[in-house]
Amino acid sequence: MISVLAIGLVLVTSLVIGVYGVRAARSASDFLVASRRVTPHWNAMAIAGEYLSAASMLGLAGLVLKNGVGAMWYAVGFTAGYVAVVALVAGPMRRSGAYTVPDFAEYRLGAPRLRKLCGLVVLVIMLLYLVPQFKGAGVVLSLVSGTPYWVGVVLAGVVVSGSIAAGGMRSATYVQAFHYVVKLAFIAVPAVYLVAVAGADTRAEALHPEWGTRFPETTPVEFTVGTRFHLEAPVTVTDASGAPVELAAGEHTVAAGTEYVFPAGAGVPHPAGLPELGGGQWRTPLLGTGGFALFETWSTLLAITLGCMGLPHVIMRFHTSATAHVARRVGVGVIALLGLFYLFPTVYGLLGRVLTPQLVLLRGTDTVAVVLPAEAAPGTAGTLLTALVAAGAFGAFLSTSSGLLLALAGGLSHDLFQGSVPRLRLAVAVGACVAVLMALPVEGIDINVLVVWAFTVAASTFCPLLVLGIWWRRLTLPGAAAGLVVGAVTATGAVGWSILAPTPPGWPAVLLAQPAAWTIPLAFTTMAVASRFTRPPDWAEHAVLRLHSP
Amino acid sequence: MSARREKLTSPQTRVALARGNRPVQHLLPIPEPVDTERARRLFRAQRRVAVRTVALLSALLFGMSGAFALFPVLGRVRWAEIPMSWLLLTVVVYPSLFGLALWHVRSAERVEEGDPEHGPEAGASAPRSAGPDGSGR
Repeated sequence: MISVLAIGLVLVTSLVIGVYGVRAARSASDFLVASRRVTPHWNAMAIAGEYLSAASMLGLAGLVLKNGVGAMWYAVGFTAGYVAVVALVAGPMRRSGAYTVPDFAEYRLGAPRLRKLCGLVVLVIMLLYLVPQFKGAGVVLSLVSGTPYWVGVVLAGVVVSGSIAAGGMRSATYVQAFHYVVKLAFIAVPAVYLVAVAGADTRAEALHPEWGTRFPETTPVEFTVGTRFHLEAPVTVTDASGAPVELAAGEHTVAAGTEYVFPAGAGVPHPAGLPELGGGQWRTPLLGTGGFALFETWSTLLAITLGCMGLPHVIMRFHTSATAHVARRVGVGVIALLGLFYLFPTVYGLLGRVLTPQLVLLRGTDTVAVVLPAEAAPGTAGTLLTALVAAGAFGAFLSTSSGLLLALAGGLSHDLFQGSVPRLRLAVAVGACVAVLMALPVEGIDINVLVVWAFTVAASTFCPLLVLGIWWRRLTLPGAAAGLVVGAVTATGAVGWSILAPTPPGWPAVLLAQPAAWTIPLAFTTMAVASRFTRPPDWAEHAVLRLHSP
Repeated sequence: MSARREKLTSPQTRVALARGNRPVQHLLPIPEPVDTERARRLFRAQRRVAVRTVALLSALLFGMSGAFALFPVLGRVRWAEIPMSWLLLTVVVYPSLFGLALWHVRSAERVEEGDPEHGPEAGASAPRSAGPDGSGR
């Protein structure tokens, strides 16, 4: 209950800040100049604050619990993406004066129609990125208040569009910067407290998964979906009516709705399709639930690192820097802030394996960050911490979703239609509706899987466009268009197939689920080869050289 | 400066409402009076720096993951009870990424400053007095 109140408080505060806080902040005769005077520190914090989404707040901890330490490669990729941005894109993009990637495409290649194609790609990427945010909001809300998942999703959509309409559109850089501090506090404070309060035994157990995973206390487990699992040793559980049930070692299948109460000290069953909790694959710091851990790690790293520069809401932030020099340094600041944040999600996953292992059986590991504090620190402290994490997570969805929706609507407005404030509001509302509808059926899909899908599409479309456009003088319009189409279709199609349709096991499944290793080179090659067959305009070299001259 | 209050909007909103009254960007001249050869040299130097950074980034990411696959001993050696490989992945990598990015930025800035016709960007928009030697313009 207190968590719901805390969430409500976060919502109200955000609304109030959105409507009043900015007006009270400053007056300026020219807000364009004023924003250019925002110091790089604020800008870096704002970027970091907006970038940390549901994937970072909840998804990472849940994946560490489910798949092992290797899940932290996502965090490394999210941060490394900014190294790629600083090295390849930040300075030149700023010099081009372009606000968005479609803008840059027009600068570099000159055709307004390419801009519309780019706008479509923006739409795909942003929707793929928004859906997991709403999923996360739905999951958190349903967890703390007991309402069904869809209520949380719809509520999140209403609140986000409402807060933007009421005044979130005026949210200035410093509000997003404040969100970074909030997100950092909400993940770091409970983590530190939990580590301190967990006790030396629990800490040691968390660091030694090879000792095995057991239920720390008598735990009721209600299987919400039919589950197949494997037991190492026989165990006697109690069913819903209180009668004891002998489960022999070996495979078992239980129907949806079955409830078993596992005794304290019993080994945790190993669900089919997941790595054994604490087993060899879990302990190895590589991504991948198939048999191809190194390939999956590399492909996912490629997708995330190269996709960052293609995310519309990331690039859009750099044009507020005064010069390219400043834009690069802001990027470096973002890396530091992200690195600081990512020190903490591991804690939840590691402690969760010891204290809340039943989450793996329920397939609901995304919630470990919210469930853990109550388990580890019983009493008032636990309740307060739960409220803190829940409110922080919900606030995170709010701020990231607002930023994303604005970037989506704004980008579309700028690149596909003529912009105006009422049109923008309409675009925001429509975008929120579509995202909510798409979020409803995806309760069973990991947040990070969806987010990486967005990154993969961005890496296969805008990354080649930006990299070749900025560093290669011979990129042409037909080449760029061809590459965009190839990249968009293959990336969207491959991951979509692997999520929505059955795939043959082995290499085909891996290549479809983590296609970046082949869609990115394919897109680059298509752009390069198609450009070779056509001639760039005379001013193309001038356009490129101008990007690198201070 | 007048005390007129202006609505501060988010960058995204400004982007959405700003529209094509801007001049065609690609036809704007290179800000400094400079010849193309110099600009080309600058471009190639910056490209070298960028390639170097990307190569190092790849080495860091793919090398570290490859090491985890090839040397399981990294999972058994511990520091303060924490397996070495976990420590590398969850802690050590972040300062490394930060250092790499910072090195890149410094190198890029040095390339820009080292070019004799170009100073630091602060003066880029102000008219520049004639350099020590005519650049031929």
